[in-house]
Amino acid sequence: MSLDPVDAVVIGTGAGGAPLLARLAAAGLKVVALEAGRHWTPGDDFATDEVAQSKLFWTDERLSAGGNPINFGKNNSGIGVGGSTLHYTAYTPRPQPTDFRLREQFGVGVDWPLSYDDLAPYYAEIEAFLGVSGPADYPWGPPRPAYPLAPLPLNGAAQLMQRACADLGIRTAPAANAALSGSWWQPGYGWRPACTNRGFCQAGCSTGAKASMDVTYLPFAVAHGAQIRAESYVTELPTDAAGRLTGAVYVKDGVTHYQTAAHVFLCAGAVETPRLLLLNRLANASGQVGKNFMAHTGMQVWGTFDQMIRPYKGIPGGLISEDTNRPADADFAGGYLLQSIGVMPVTYAGEVARGRGLWGDALTAHMREYNHVAGINILGDCLPYAGNELTLSDEIDGRGLPKPLVTFTAGDNEKRLTAHAEKIMRRIWDAAGGHDVWSYDRYAHTIGTARMGTDPAASVVDPDGRAHDVPNLTICDNSVFPSALAANPALTIMALSLRTADRFLARGARGEA
Amino acid sequence: MTAYPAHSVTDLIGGALLTPATAAALRDRIAPVDPPAKTVLDERQLAVLAAVAARLVPQPDRPTPIDLAARLHRRLADGKGDGWRYADQPADAELVARGLDALAAAGFAGRDGAGQDELLRNVQAGGADWPGISSARWFEEVLAGVVDLYYSHPLAQEEIGYAGMADARGWQDVGFGARAAHEPEPVA
Repeated sequence: MSLDPVDAVVIGTGAGGAPLLARLAAAGLKVVALEAGRHWTPGDDFATDEVAQSKLFWTDERLSAGGNPINFGKNNSGIGVGGSTLHYTAYTPRPQPTDFRLREQFGVGVDWPLSYDDLAPYYAEIEAFLGVSGPADYPWGPPRPAYPLAPLPLNGAAQLMQRACADLGIRTAPAANAALSGSWWQPGYGWRPACTNRGFCQAGCSTGAKASMDVTYLPFAVAHGAQIRAESYVTELPTDAAGRLTGAVYVKDGVTHYQTAAHVFLCAGAVETPRLLLLNRLANASGQVGKNFMAHTGMQVWGTFDQMIRPYKGIPGGLISEDTNRPADADFAGGYLLQSIGVMPVTYAGEVARGRGLWGDALTAHMREYNHVAGINILGDCLPYAGNELTLSDEIDGRGLPKPLVTFTAGDNEKRLTAHAEKIMRRIWDAAGGHDVWSYDRYAHTIGTARMGTDPAASVVDPDGRAHDVPNLTICDNSVFPSALAANPALTIMALSLRTADRFLARGARGEA
Repeated sequence: MTAYPAHSVTDLIGGALLTPATAAALRDRIAPVDPPAKTVLDERQLAVLAAVAARLVPQPDRPTPIDLAARLHRRLADGKGDGWRYADQPADAELVARGLDALAAAGFAGRDGAGQDELLRNVQAGGADWPGISSARWFEEVLAGVVDLYYSHPLAQEEIGYAGMADARGWQDVGFGARAAHEPEPVA
């Protein structure tokens, strides 16, 4: 069944798709968003229970290979109206200007074809729109406007880290978090209440205090006429004889639909976006689709303390330090940030099992100290390497499509960065009086796979997000990142999303394609 | 070793401190699981799995242990995985079944607890030569599976003093050492 044509169809409703959907709708365009997952009613549907909330994770099977196989599911891509913002931690640091310039500074990786200054106005706009909570005077980087709301309260882990870092001469600050420290009027949605410190950001916010897309940009888009079709899984992107996309074919309730559109925005994340491109043999004259897969260095160091932490309470990532963005004694390119972390028990037990290999009495005895556990996490850069990539496997999934195969092996730079970070994190927990300190080496977020660049032979999209080879296809999500950046990706994805929409609208205003 | 009073979680169910969605999830979790309509493990494999689970997550103080083998079987049969698997290993149900067969062949059930642990340590270290599968990855997947099932059970959450499910009112004070009246305190 072919549906009446629209100006634009947007595939995916997460941090990449939602802001641009809102921007295009507000400009008066007829826009439709297709989302593979359900449209939840968080107050009724979200339990404070980790297993029940696994419904927010993309659990179609992905095959993980390489020296550091990535754990997908929990941490690495979501499903549902709002995408992975339904389960992001709401941690929204800005990258530093030099993060965009790794090749210029260190001679490795690639530089972004746009700069921090290009994105800074969008960072400020998004922080002001979402109601980001953070300090008035942020200690690192170029001056930025005061965050619109005061910082969220620091939980036990954050307070411990704050004290120990003060003793060690490491600067810290309450982190920027896209969760509300006071009630907030959200245009298109209504009042969002202040955070109740439920601590469950990574498994779905039931109150609307966390700025996931379903309570911010998406209702704003709908108020401006956008349509969101949930449980609509895109299988095909047909082209005409001239190589232009004609719309998107999707399956909803077992029925195949065909939404025709003048423009297609692909915002499905760094796994499903390249998967759709490869399945449809699109935008790949460069051979770069699926290449350059990156994942943030994300080691966690846990300690057990005499005091009661009760790590399930409060915003999980309360405290930040960016003193390690460019450490003076670094033997690696790039840098990382430090973040205090709380943790929910099933997640922690899973890390103890997989990362530490504890079982039997050693496991249950360790878990009895759960209330005394506090963590620090890094979020660090990662370089692209040949061979770290996404391809289509020869295994077919439940939808009849090939499963993605993701190969990832950390390089020397990631290992040296992680070793540097582990030393600092252990020093902090030692200074705080931690015992039984242990590290969990992990890689988080999916990045790359449809790189942005100016050279059509070496990248998939141009700096405006337009596919080099397909005139009316635009891509916006973490797949277009040329480098990983030493900051959590959601804020930058949203900034790119608004910029991509503005560039698209400006071209339209000039009468260009 | 820290211990907490019994019933700290079960007493919350049905009360004003839990939202209906959370209470429903916990009630569902406590209920015994039905065997899957279409089994993926046979009786012999299930018996070995139960013996393995008892070594991985011992429950000496529980009159009726949480039936981790039945729960893992149900999860494997439902085919709802966690979103990924090691590319060099077969699908979860097949991986688990093959490892259980190999353990059965090694006489796992006939050993005493110490002997079973010795065998499992070798499996965990990747020392068991199992055709077509890695014993280390088998061990990691089975351990992660039973640990997830155990610590998502309200009775195990009582054991570790977790009170995060009390979501209806949130938390007033999240700072260092702060405690609300319904957060359990350790017992001697």
